[in-house]
Parts: sequence; C-alpha cells; structure tokens
Amino acid sequence: MSGRPDRLGTTAGDLRTATGPVGLVTEEPVGRSTAWWGMTLFITTEGTLFAALFGSYFYLRFQHGAPWPPDGIAEPELLLPLIMTAVLVPSSLPVLWAEAGIRRGRRWQLRAGLLGTLVMGGTFLGLQGIEYSEILREYTFTTNVYGSLFYAITTFHGAHVTVGLLMVCWLLAASLHGSFGTRRHERVRVVGYYWHFVDAVWVAILFTVYLSPRL
Amino acid sequence: MSERLSPRAALVGGLLLWFAVLGGVSAWAVHALAAWSIDELACEAGHDNLAGFPLTGAIALAVLLPAAGAAAALAASVLAWRRVRPNHGDGDERSTGRAHLLAFVGLWLNTLALAMIALGGVAALVLPPCQR
Amino acid sequence: MSSSTAAERGTGPDPAAMAALDSHWAAAPTLRNWFATVDHKRIGRRYLVTAALFFGFAGASALAMRTQLAGPEAGVLSAREYNQLFTMHGTAMIFLFSTPMLFGFGNFLVPLMIGTRDMAFPRLNAFGYWVFLFAGLFMWASVPAGAAPNGGWFAYVPLTDERHTPGLHLDVYTLGLLFLGISTTAGAINFIVTALKLRAPGMSLNRVPIFVWAIVATAFMVLFALPVLNLDNALLFLDRRFDTRFFEPERGGNVLLWQHLFWIFGHPDVYIIVMPALGIVSAVLPVFCRRGIVGYPLVVFSIVAIAIISFGVWVHHMFATGLPQLSYGFFSAASTVITIPSGLQIFAWLATMLFGRIVLSVPFLFVVGFLVTFVIGGFTGVMFALTAFDQQTTDTYFVVAHFHYVLFGGAVFPILAGIYYWLPKITGRMFDARLGRWAFWLVFLGMNLTFFPMHVSGLLGMPRRVYTYSGGLGWDALNVLATVGAYVLAVGLLLVAIGVVHALRRGDPAPDDPWGGDSLEWATSSPPKPYNFAVIPRVRSLHPVWDPATAESTGPGADEDRILAEGRRTLFTSEFDGRPERAVEMPEETLKPLVAAVGLLVLFLGLLFAWYWIAAGSGALVAGTLATWLWPPHRAPEEAGMTT
Ligand code: HEM
Repeated sequence: MSGRPDRLGTTAGDLRTATGPVGLVTEEPVGRSTAWWGMTLFITTEGTLFAALFGSYFYLRFQHGAPWPPDGIAEPELLLPLIMTAVLVPSSLPVLWAEAGIRRGRRWQLRAGLLGTLVMGGTFLGLQGIEYSEILREYTFTTNVYGSLFYAITTFHGAHVTVGLLMVCWLLAASLHGSFGTRRHERVRVVGYYWHFVDAVWVAILFTVYLSPRL
Repeated sequence: MSERLSPRAALVGGLLLWFAVLGGVSAWAVHALAAWSIDELACEAGHDNLAGFPLTGAIALAVLLPAAGAAAALAASVLAWRRVRPNHGDGDERSTGRAHLLAFVGLWLNTLALAMIALGGVAALVLPPCQR
Repeated sequence: MSSSTAAERGTGPDPAAMAALDSHWAAAPTLRNWFATVDHKRIGRRYLVTAALFFGFAGASALAMRTQLAGPEAGVLSAREYNQLFTMHGTAMIFLFSTPMLFGFGNFLVPLMIGTRDMAFPRLNAFGYWVFLFAGLFMWASVPAGAAPNGGWFAYVPLTDERHTPGLHLDVYTLGLLFLGISTTAGAINFIVTALKLRAPGMSLNRVPIFVWAIVATAFMVLFALPVLNLDNALLFLDRRFDTRFFEPERGGNVLLWQHLFWIFGHPDVYIIVMPALGIVSAVLPVFCRRGIVGYPLVVFSIVAIAIISFGVWVHHMFATGLPQLSYGFFSAASTVITIPSGLQIFAWLATMLFGRIVLSVPFLFVVGFLVTFVIGGFTGVMFALTAFDQQTTDTYFVVAHFHYVLFGGAVFPILAGIYYWLPKITGRMFDARLGRWAFWLVFLGMNLTFFPMHVSGLLGMPRRVYTYSGGLGWDALNVLATVGAYVLAVGLLLVAIGVVHALRRGDPAPDDPWGGDSLEWATSSPPKPYNFAVIPRVRSLHPVWDPATAESTGPGADEDRILAEGRRTLFTSEFDGRPERAVEMPEETLKPLVAAVGLLVLFLGLLFAWYWIAAGSGALVAGTLATWLWPPHRAPEEAGMTT
C-alpha cells in the first residue's frame, strides 16, 4: 500500500492478518499476574453464587404465582434504591482514578481516590440501614418467602459491600505506608475489580428485587 | 513470520480462536436456558404466548439464533484448524501446535453443541409446548 | 524410554548453586515449621493421609451397616444410628474422601508434572488443607456426639427441615459442607492459576499431561458447581435456624428448590469426582503399555466436553416432578450427547493397550479393575434410561449397587492405582509387589462380592436406606453374601495400608524413574527435593522424559534463568504457550494459614451452637489474619517505582 494508509484499508488488512495463521495463534489473554487470575476466578465463582441466588428468586416467584409481592405487601419503594444506586455505581470511578494515579506514581491520587470510594460505599450502607428500618415495620424475613428473599439478597450483597470496604480500608492503610508505586500496584488493581463486581451485582439486584415486581 | 501484526489484529485473532473453541457451547448454554425458561414460564402462567408473542415463535427463536451462533463457531474452528498447522515452515512451532489443538477441541465441541441444539429443536417440533 | 538415572541426565548446576537452593527452600525440621509449611509436596501428602483417614471412618460405618444387614431383624444398630451412619458414609465418601484425595494427588503432582517449584499460592494451599482437616473433623465429631446428619447424603427437604428433623444433625451437615466448600474453592482456584502461570518454559497447552488437564477441568467445574451447593446449604441453614421461608410451602416457599439446586451441583459433582480419577488412569495406563496415550487431542476434547456438558444433565434427576415435557426435551439432548466423550476415553485406553506392550504390574492391575467395574456401572446406568425400569428400581438396592460400581470403580480403583504408581516418588521407597497383588485380588473380589448381589436384591424389591428387614423375602442369602464381601474388601484395603507402611519402614530405596514414566515428575529425585527441580526443564514435547532434547535441558550448560538459585524463586511463563515471563519470589513458611483456619473453625462452631458473638469475634480474627497475610511487603521507593 502506498502513501498514507486510509482507515478502512488498515481495518481490512487487520482483519485479514487476524484470521490468518499468524493472527490466530496470538496468545490472549497473556502476561497476567497470578493475583489477576486469582481474583478473576474468585469473582467468577462469586458471580455464579449470585446468579444462583437470582435464579432462586425467579424460580420461587414464578412457582408462587400472582400476586407478587404476596400477602398484601406493597411493591418495593423505588426512591431510596435509586438514590443508593446513584451513590454506589459511580463509586467505581474513584477506584479507577486512584489506579490511574498510582500508575503514574501519584500517591496522593491513590489515597484520595480510595477515600472517595470509602465515603460513597459507607453512605450506601447507611442508606441501606435506613431502608431496612422502614421496611422492617412492614414485613421481616420470617413473614413469607418474599420477605426471606428480599432480606437474604440485599443482606448478602451488603455483606459483600462491607468486605469490599474492608479491602479498600486495607489498601488505604497500605498506601499510607508507602508500599505502592508505578511498578507495584497489583493489589490496587485487583481490589478495584472486586469493587466493580460488587457494583455490578447491585445493578442486577436493582432489576431483580426492585424493578421486576413492577412488571 | 513475514506478515507484521498490528496489536488490534493480534487481539482479534486471539479472541477469534477462543470463539472457535467456546462459541458453540456458549450458544448451547444460551439455548437451553432461554428455551427452558420461556417454555416453563409461559406454561406456568397458563397461556401460550409471551406478552403477545406466540410461544412457538419464541421457542423457535431460542433454537435458531443459538444454532446460527454455533454454526458460526463451527465455521471459525474449521477455518482455524485448517489454517494453523504445526511444523508449517517458519512459524513458532509451539504456538501453532497449541492453536491447532485448541481448534481441534473447538471443532468437536461445536459439533456436539450444534447437535444438542438441533435435538432441542426436534423436541420442540414433536412435543406440544405445555404437555405434562 | 528406559529409566534414566541422574548421571545420564547430567548433573545439573554446580554445587554452589545447589547449596544455595537448599538453603532457600529447605525448612529446618522444627515443630513450628511442621505447622507452618507451605511445601506443596508435604501438603499433598497430608491431603492424601487425611482423606484416607476419612475413608477409613466412612468404611467403618459401612462395615457396621453391613454387619447390621447380614441377617433379618438384627439388633446391632438402632434405626437412629443406622440413619446417621448411612448419611455420614455417603456424605464423607463424596465430600471428605473422593475430592480431597484427588486434590491431594493434584497438589503433590501438578507442580512436578508441569516442572515448577510450588503451587501458585502456596499459603492458600496450606490454608485449604487446614480448612479441609477441620471441616472433616467438625463433621465426624458429630458421630460420637449422636448428632450426626441423618437425612441422607442429598438431604431432601421437607424431611430435613426444622419441623421434621429437630436437633443439630442437619446444621452439622449444612455448616460442615459450607466450611469444606471454602477449602475446595481455594484449591480449585490454586490449581487453575498454577497450571496457567507456572508451567515450565516450552510447555504449551498441547504438551500438558492429561492428568493436569483433568485437574484443571475439575477445578473449573468446582468453581461453577460448588457455589450452587453452598447457596442451597445456606438457605437451608437460614430456614432451620432463623425461620426464613425458602422451603416452606405454607409461606410461599418451595421444596423443589432444594432438589433443583442440589442436582445442579450434584450431577457435575459425579464428574468432579470421576474426572481426576480418569486423569490418573490416563497417566498410569500408557506407561505400562510402553507408549504414549492414543488420541491425545481427542482425550483433551473429551475432558473439556464433559466438564461443560455435565451442567446440562441435572433435570434428569427430576423426572418425577411434573414439569412440561418439552422443557425436559431441551436438556435430555445433553444426557445423550455426554456419553460420546465418556466413551471416547474408554476407546483411547483400549487402543493404547492394543497398540502397546502391556506390563502387568500392580498399578496396572488396579487400572484393569477400574475398567471392568466402571464398564459394568456404565451398563447398569444405561438401563436407567428406560423410564419403566427406572421407576421399578428407584430407591432400591439396585441403585446402591449401580452407584457403587460407578464410584468405587471410577474413583477408588484409580486412586489405588495412583497410590501404587506414585508411592515410590512420594516416599522414595518401593512397595512389596506380592503384597500389592494380594491386595488387588482381595479388593477386586470383595468389591464384586459386596455390590453384585445388591443388583439382585434390588430387583427383588429390597429398598435402600432401611436399617433392617424381615426374613423370608428372598433377600437373606444375598445380604449374607454382601456382608461377607464387605469384610473381604476390608481385608484387601487393610493390605493396601499395610503395604504402604511396609514400604515406608522396609522398602528398598526407589530409583528416580522406576516405571519409565513420561511426565516430568519422573525427571527428579525420589522423593523430590524441596525445590523439586535444580534446573527448571525446558519442555520440547508431550513426553518430556522420553525426549532426549528435554532431558538435556536440565544438564550442564543450563541457563542461569532456569536455575534461579538466589532466593526462593521460580519462573512465570505465559498462559498458553509457556514462554518465559519473569522470575518470582515464592513465600516462606508461615503460621497465618493455620491461624485463619482455626478462626474459621471457631466461627463455624459458633454458628452451630448459636454463640453468635463468638462467631463474630472469630470472623474478625480471620479478617485480621488475612489483612496481615496479604499486606504488601515494604519496598524502597525506587523498588516500588517511585523516583522521588
Ligand atoms: C468401602 C466399601 C464400601 C461399602 C462396604 C459400602 C457400603 C454401603 C452401604 C451398605 C450403604 C447403605 C445402603 C443403604 O442403607 O441405603 C452405602 C451407601 C452409600 N455409599 Fe457406600 N460403600 C462403600 C464405599 C463407598 C464409596 C467409595 C463411595 C463413594 C465414593 C460410597 C458412596 C455411598 C453413597 C453416596 C451412599 C448413599 C448414602 C445415602 O443413602 O444417603 N460408598 N454404602
């Protein structure tokens, strides 16, 4: 190809080499650390656990039949969960920002980012407490299967948020100690993955527990 | 290695090989879960449509789309298996051997997956959806 | 192919490097180091011994049951005791013996077979062992306390809910299995990461031994199957202890949820048990046929296929529950198709035997025992596919006979073959072959004598899980036979144990490669040094020990970056092609895994006895231990990549 290759040309060329022998033998994924693999696999198995939990929710719900929620329980209130979503989901950003910072050797950015996540995650847990204190007046986990599912799913997720926050605290302590730098920050990355996972699970909960009964 | 490989081409090639290995069984998993839950949910609710969409149509989709996916994966694995041959001149013998093995495994996995999806389709043809 | 000696393979690195390796890897034989070890070989040995101990307990329970059933209306055991014994027998054989035993082999062998110096996470490995030990003791301790699980190994609700089974029995079951699950999950993750990152340079995926493939596939199955069982047990515990309503129909729950979740786990679990055992067969059988396994790519395919398709087979267990027939239709394809890869492996072994020169040594005898029993078990399995036959024999002794042929054939025979095959490597001693042959024939005859008559008594209508029966129903003679068989079997198994002890005490020193094996564990000394390989080999084929080029790579002139004698180091390689990436420092002995496991034990005891504050406190202890365990090592700013 002569002159400046145009965009389309390179894409077609890329596709040709990608499907050729040299492209197909590319190792992918490659060069990851053991920590990366360990966390990825851990998240996989935890994700399966939550998937089974959501599967059980729908199984019990559809075996139960209408009305759902049963026994005159009102449809779940949406305002608070939406606020909680607005607090938790963006809390992934400070972790990303923190990681980007330590990559460039900016320890202050690491610390500030982690602190931001800590505050947002803590707020989420506080809001969950407020939500419980309201809902517990209406029904508890012994009222019926709906109550059991609601509390089991949300508490289990809350426990994961707590664990995630403990990890973030631990990272923050280690970063104050000065253990991380441009080359050494695998722990930051891996804890970040866990935190994103916890966020993603919350989105699934929002759809399963809060939005789906309104369908 | 006469061809130079851009990073993007490398990524696509590597992922394509994985699609050739696992695409078929993923399609089968989607098929089994989708077809099963569509059937179960609709029949449990006692009607043979899903929000106005006829049940048989929904099941047909849950058979045909995954079947297309598995067929594509099968084609990819055949392609990879034939293009990547160990001891093929100047290439890196180790990677080609590995990729050849993976393509071979994928070839048979995709065949089995396609067979299972087809058998599911046959079941959908001969059995009325909600018979117990 | 002949068994090579260290001299033929070259002498390895110079003495100074050897001394350095020794000083970095060998732990002083102190009491602390006994508890603090992270060496995969010691941990693997412990797994093997502990699982064998639990096998002994479960076997003793079976003997007690057989004694009770020897004649009609016997009074050896009460109904209560019998219920606890068969439940603990089944639960322990499945959860505390098979999988941990095979994980023990994996622990010892995977790093050796892939040519590295330890597992990817050595401390996690130690932690996994301690958790397994404590979980096993936690469950077995309930037997003398009279509070053992008593709802059968699959613990169906509503039988097992609080109303029908009060007391701690089922809490021991749910909590014990949750506790054990931590160990199994940790082990599975460790196997996968080890196999991905620590293979010797040059070992691309097409050169990985079948046994390692089998362990890794099993580990993946564990990661997807076990969480479902854990969820099931957690829900049952909540129902029993905190009055949630998941399984309570009056409050909108559903008992079938238990069965669904249990068998989503349970069906893959059959393969989780059998798959690594088949991996042992694929390691042992070719060596005694003096050739490589026939159809390596097909066997790899079969392993991967079984691991995936087995997840589609669970509805099979629910034919009596009244779902629309079509929804079975989508899954019954899986039950049919999965026989193809299973059959492939059998044909690969038969072809290997056909094209090889068979050497009838003791390990090979057990492999033959496996083939015979497993095929019979498979045959009776096919009979269940006839629905009419299935309904006639459900919950009779025919089922008991069938799954013992599958599980004893599919797990115990390969495990025994593996014990004899690797004993020289593990202990550095040879066993007495004559004793081994006696053990084989007693086990083989005893096994068939125990379980074959059960087919007949099952067809004659004898139900399973009964603590006694009345005479004159035509079952009496068959039960006597089965009981006699059980005692013969016990003597055979005892001979195996005696053989191991005898080898340890009196056995001749074992050569490095007594069988002329092909995988890398035979390329190092027997027993291996703490660092496994003085030089990490460079692998050039699927059968590295039979391949002179690989053997040469550990000889003189090996490059420095495969000796790695400064520090406790090993090599990371790339995930699929095994290209060298970098040398890494491995952790030293530490007590933290033990402390964390003790913390978990107290936590689960706290949950069991409803001492929730103690449980919370030990939870904090575990978290604190983990925090210090994973604390990043202090680094100078330059080392961390900070220049200012
Ligand atoms: C060592 C020789 C063995 C003997 C003599 C033996 C004998 C028995 C007997 C008598 C029963 C109870 C039957 C009943 O009352 O329903 C039983 C059940 C069972 N056995 Fe074994 N067994 C042996 C080995 C094994 C092995 C190696 C495994 C698995 C790896 C195993 C797994 C089971 C299971 C899962 C049950 C069902 C328990 C239940 O009904 O919940 N057994 N066995």
